[in-house]
Amino acid sequence: MLHLEEMPHRVKAFFEKVEPTWKNVSVEKYEVMTGGYSRLLARADVAHDGIVSTFVLRGDPPADKSLLYTSRVQEYELLRIVGDAGVRTPHALYFDATGEDLGTMAIVMEFSQSTSFLPYVAAGNSIEGLNVRLAEAIASYQSIPISALPASMERPASWDAYMTKRINSWREASNNHVESLPVFHYVAEWLDAHRPPPAPLVLMHGDFQCANVMVTADGHIEVIDWELAGIGDPREDIGYFKAVSQASPPDLLGDDGIEGFCARYRELTGLNELQVNPATVAYFLVLGVVGTVEQLMQGGAAWAKGENHLFNSVFNLSSVLFGQSMWLNFLGQLSEPMKQIAAAANGGK
Amino acid sequence: MFSRPTTEQLLAGIAEELRTVVASEVQTETTKIMLQQIDQILMGCSRRAAHEIAWVHEEAEKIGALTGKPIGKPASLHLEDVLAWYHQVSSLLSDEVGAAFRSGDQGRIDAVKELLDARSAIEMQVLGALELVGRG
Repeated sequence: MLHLEEMPHRVKAFFEKVEPTWKNVSVEKYEVMTGGYSRLLARADVAHDGIVSTFVLRGDPPADKSLLYTSRVQEYELLRIVGDAGVRTPHALYFDATGEDLGTMAIVMEFSQSTSFLPYVAAGNSIEGLNVRLAEAIASYQSIPISALPASMERPASWDAYMTKRINSWREASNNHVESLPVFHYVAEWLDAHRPPPAPLVLMHGDFQCANVMVTADGHIEVIDWELAGIGDPREDIGYFKAVSQASPPDLLGDDGIEGFCARYRELTGLNELQVNPATVAYFLVLGVVGTVEQLMQGGAAWAKGENHLFNSVFNLSSVLFGQSMWLNFLGQLSEPMKQIAAAANGGK
Repeated sequence: MFSRPTTEQLLAGIAEELRTVVASEVQTETTKIMLQQIDQILMGCSRRAAHEIAWVHEEAEKIGALTGKPIGKPASLHLEDVLAWYHQVSSLLSDEVGAAFRSGDQGRIDAVKELLDARSAIEMQVLGALELVGRG
């Protein structure tokens, strides 16, 4: 996908194959796009029958340049499902399942005309009401029945089993590191001791952050990049979004936006005030970052052992150090509200 | 050996030279970002170098007092030996965290939290002001 001379020919041949009724197919423009964290992205303007359509190619990098492994087959299947369900996301239109045509296994999607969230904000656009639109976007994909999701997605046995596994990831991040990390153990124990009221498991985006959110021309939220999707607690994407927003403001779920978000989200999902409120969102802010933390710690450990020489691996440890201070502070403030929520939930049974 | 200038001074001096002399000569954006990251890491190393071994010993004594378990001592004051010992002592603290929560004794949990807050405060002192250069 990175070969700029070869790819237009491949793309032309691909469309002649998948759209045999198209006449006079040509590739007007082909360029590599930035923004793909773990996948290759490219844009192709394809002309046929006197019209020009723009597509996005999203493919696997070579194995030795891959940051993490995720399945394109599952991602394509999921994109078709969320698109058919009416979720605002660029539709997946074609799939080169073997890489024979496009040089690597790749999904061909429609090109989004929406604006990425951070550039949208940087351009001076108003964010008023986007907290409510965010609730609608999350609820839209979480309403898809689990039974309709790809069979390849792991189904947790129960909410408790899911939470136990996620919380335990904090302990494992310490146990797998080059030195013991008592703060990680504290976070795990605290999360375990202050579990929120359960909620039905749903489709989880898995990397729901401002970089994967776009704003449509009519002010709605579009969601992109589903490669880390799975099945989990509905509040985890919300907490993760808030966690990333701390480092990349503005935070749509800050003091001004969180209550409005929670109210609209509860209205759409049927979850109650004990399940979804600013405190439970903050709980998942801490729980939800464990996947990222694990990756950063693995990078730092590999550097310490001389197994990689990526300077970013060292620099990224600074984020975790900063995070530790923030988590300890957050958990201190959350203890009492979470106890009150648990007491109210138990009293209501 | 010449002990002065200290390692702390040398590392801070190198960071200063990179910031004030080398940075202006750098042309590409990616290299400028890397230089800013190097500056932050060097300043952290400088602060660590001045106090690292003392901090480790001070925290280890507190962990020993909290857990009531013998912490021993490092095989030598060479950093590898000190950090191997610190890992063992930190493991005692990690174990104590689990035991405190299992006991349900809030005083025991608070005591652990106090030690972790102190550890985190030192880490933040090493870190200085975090600037996530190269992000976003």
